[in-house]
Formats: sequence, C-alpha cells, structure tokens
Amino acid sequence: MATHFNEKTRHYFELIRELTSREIKARYKQSILGYAWVILNPLFQMLVMAFVFSKIVRFPTVGTPYTVFLYAGLLPWTLFANSLTGATNSLVQSANLLKKVYFPREIFVISTIISKIVDFLLASTVFVIFLLFYHQQISFNILWLFPIFAIQQLFTYGLSLFLAALNLFYRDIQYVLTLILTVGMYLTPVIYPTEIFPSQYRWIFQLNPMAVIINAYRQVILNGNMPNLISLSIALFVSGIITLLGYRLFRKLEGVFADVV
Amino acid sequence: MSSNNPVIKIDNLSKLFFKQEQKTFKEFLPALFTGKKTKEWFWALQNINLEIKKGESVGIMGPNGSGKSTLLKLIAGVTKPTKGAVTVNGRIAPLIELGAGFHPELSGRENVFLNGVILGMSRSEVEAKFKEIVDFAELWEFIDVPVKHYSSGMFLRLAFSVAIHTDPEVLLIDEILAVGDAAFQKKCFTKLKDLLTKDVTLIIVSHDQQLLHKMTERIVQFKNGTCG
Repeated sequence: MATHFNEKTRHYFELIRELTSREIKARYKQSILGYAWVILNPLFQMLVMAFVFSKIVRFPTVGTPYTVFLYAGLLPWTLFANSLTGATNSLVQSANLLKKVYFPREIFVISTIISKIVDFLLASTVFVIFLLFYHQQISFNILWLFPIFAIQQLFTYGLSLFLAALNLFYRDIQYVLTLILTVGMYLTPVIYPTEIFPSQYRWIFQLNPMAVIINAYRQVILNGNMPNLISLSIALFVSGIITLLGYRLFRKLEGVFADVV
Repeated sequence: MSSNNPVIKIDNLSKLFFKQEQKTFKEFLPALFTGKKTKEWFWALQNINLEIKKGESVGIMGPNGSGKSTLLKLIAGVTKPTKGAVTVNGRIAPLIELGAGFHPELSGRENVFLNGVILGMSRSEVEAKFKEIVDFAELWEFIDVPVKHYSSGMFLRLAFSVAIHTDPEVLLIDEILAVGDAAFQKKCFTKLKDLLTKDVTLIIVSHDQQLLHKMTERIVQFKNGTCG
C-alpha cells in the first residue's frame, strides 16, 4: 500500500515537472530572442513607467531611487498577474487532455504557476543588478523574502483554483480578470508608496493581500527592516481561507470539468 | 487466456448531461429574466451493465451520439457517473485523439516524454522505452522536428506508439485507426493482437464493422444511450 502511495506521489510530481517544462519550452520557441523576453518585457515596462512616474508625475519614494522602488513592486505584481491569467486559462487550454486522461486537475494550475515563477526568477536577476548598482544595503531581514513569497504563492494558488474552475463554465471570467488586474495594479501600491496617503486611511491597504505583500517586500529589501507582521498575518489568514475554499470548490466541480469544457 | 475476474465492471450506469446553451454572462443574464431555460438535461447513457474480462477485446458500435465516447470517458475516469458505478482494475491508457497531449511547438522527442508521463509512465520508463517507441513509429528522421511540421499520419504513428508502450492493462481506442496508411494500420493491428496475447484488455469504439469483427471477440451495440 505504501509503495502504491509513493508511486502515485512520484507520478504527481513528474506530471507537474513535464507540464511545467512544456509550458516553459513552448512559450518562446519561435522567437529570435526566445527566453530573453521574460527579462526584457518587465525591464522595458519598468523603464517606461519609471520615466513617467519619476520625471512627469513625481512620487516620493522615501530615500530609494524610483527605478529600484518600482521594480521591487512591479516584479511581484507581474508574477501575480501572469500567474492568475495563466492559471485561469490553464484548464480551458488543456481541454483535449481534460476529456481523455484522468489525473488530478490541479496539476494544470500548479504547473502554470510554477512556470511563471521561473519567469519571475529570471526577470529578478536584473533587479539584483540594479540593487548592486545603487549599492543597496542588505540586512539579515532579507530572509523574510521567503515567507513573504510563500504567502504570495498561497494567495495566488487559492485565487487560481477559483478562477480556473469557474472559467470552464463561463469564459467571461478570463476577460473580467484582465480588467480587474488592470484596475488592481492601481489599487495596489505598485507604482506609488502607501505613504502618499494620510496615515489614517492606510489601513485600507491591509485588506488587500497583494498590497501587504508588496509593502513587505519593499520593507525587507529596500529598508532592511522587518515586515509588518500583523498585516502579514492577516494576509496569510486571508490567503489560507481563500485557498481552502478554492480547493473545495475545485474538488466539487472537478467531476464535471470534462462535461462542460 | 482470459481469467475470470473482470477488469472493468459497469453496474447500472447512467450519465446525465446538460446541453448548456448560454456560454457567456451576456447570454446568461437576460435568460434569467426572460425565464428562458439555460439548461436542458438528457441521458447520454442509461442503465448500462457490462463486464469485461482480462485479455478480452470488445468493440463498441453505434450511431453518432449514442453514448459510445461518453462510455470511454467514464471508463477513463475523466467524468463521473450520475448513477451506478464503473470499477476498473488496472492501468488504463486512452489512445488520445490526434493532438491532445501533444504540444505543436515541441519536438517529437519532447512530446514522447510529455505524453508518456501524461499516460502514467515515469520519466525513466519513457527513457528506457524511447528507442522502442521511435522504432515502432518509424520516426527517427523527424524526432527532433517540432510536431507541428508532422503530417497527420506521422502524428498518429507517434501517438499510437507512445500509448501502446505504456504497458497498459486496458487500452481504449476511439475511432482513431482510420488515419495512417495501410502499411502502418497493418502494423498496428499486429501489435494490438500481440498485446491481446499478453492479457491486455482492448476496447475499441468504431463505426467500422469489418474492423471490429477482425479485432474483437464481441461487439456491443449502442443506441440512444442504451446497449443491447
């Protein structure tokens, strides 16, 4: 019985690995620069935004160069947005497989998210170069990156389960998502610091896990401080609940995925 | 050759489907107010009882929409029965239709690994059988070419070859052998016969009566979701 279980688990991970590498390999196969786009895209996006928001509209950034400040928020936001978009479409895109072979469906969602994390790590190399270039001081608090990143992934995974399952029933989900993400970027302190709002209103950001997460990244990377643990705990709690509910909904609908797609 | 314990046992199986007519909110919302029905239910399968023994080969025939493919889906486990139960003892390999599971941008080699793992093999198993798979498909020359440049025949050869090399205990074949040239078809039949002697169970869905008579021991007729 135990070996059977082990074999199942091993196959589970091998499937994730194969589907993730399919995603990664296939993406830029027919482009000249290939995978370099993963780095170039956010870089150019950052440069354009940095120009607009530091030369035209000026945001105060509390002592850090705006490019670094922006990149620290834009990279995790891009990861979040790309993961959600990719995961939402993941089941619909694999409709053919869905209808023919059975394996746990969340594997499609998980492998899409992992492939976006790989993109994110590659894109982050440029950020590290920026940090070195500006002689950014790094403290031990940088280790907080790992739990913060884990909370971001939990939040992403939970939402993805919801969206991917519902998108099979109504394709509107994917279009609504694009819209929400566009608005969401401005509701989240990606291009601006929360400090531009009077302190009595800043608590509102605590309700948005992505705002908490991005603030926490900046806190530990740019200021070398501890993140705000209370906000982070709330974000963890909210993410946990969403993942739990998302998983239950996903499991409940899984049986009819192949019928509705 | 065939022992007595059934590999597949289908018990009083029924499957209810709904024809979903509104696929978007834009259609769905007005339908809420006008009271137009958004769903219409129908039985794709009704009270099916079927037992298939190990090493048996069974053909499934019937007109379009008679529930043949739904039955395969239920056996493969991708959809759940509304009533009744399907019990399967053993590894199933569906011979998936052209393209499913293959990524057009990836090479034949990459797709063999991808598809092998999707069908339940481990990476090392695929590695061990890789030569056999490509030999059978006769595709050494094109194995590193993206499969989007393959002809449909080449595609089929590779897909078929991967599926039969997964060591399935049950092989599900849905109307697929029609593609591919005569020589390859013959090769497939020989291979399938060979698998049958190794106690592999074969379920073939087809319209081709001749093919089914040649390949299977018994044929189950489907009509409007019931079998006779």
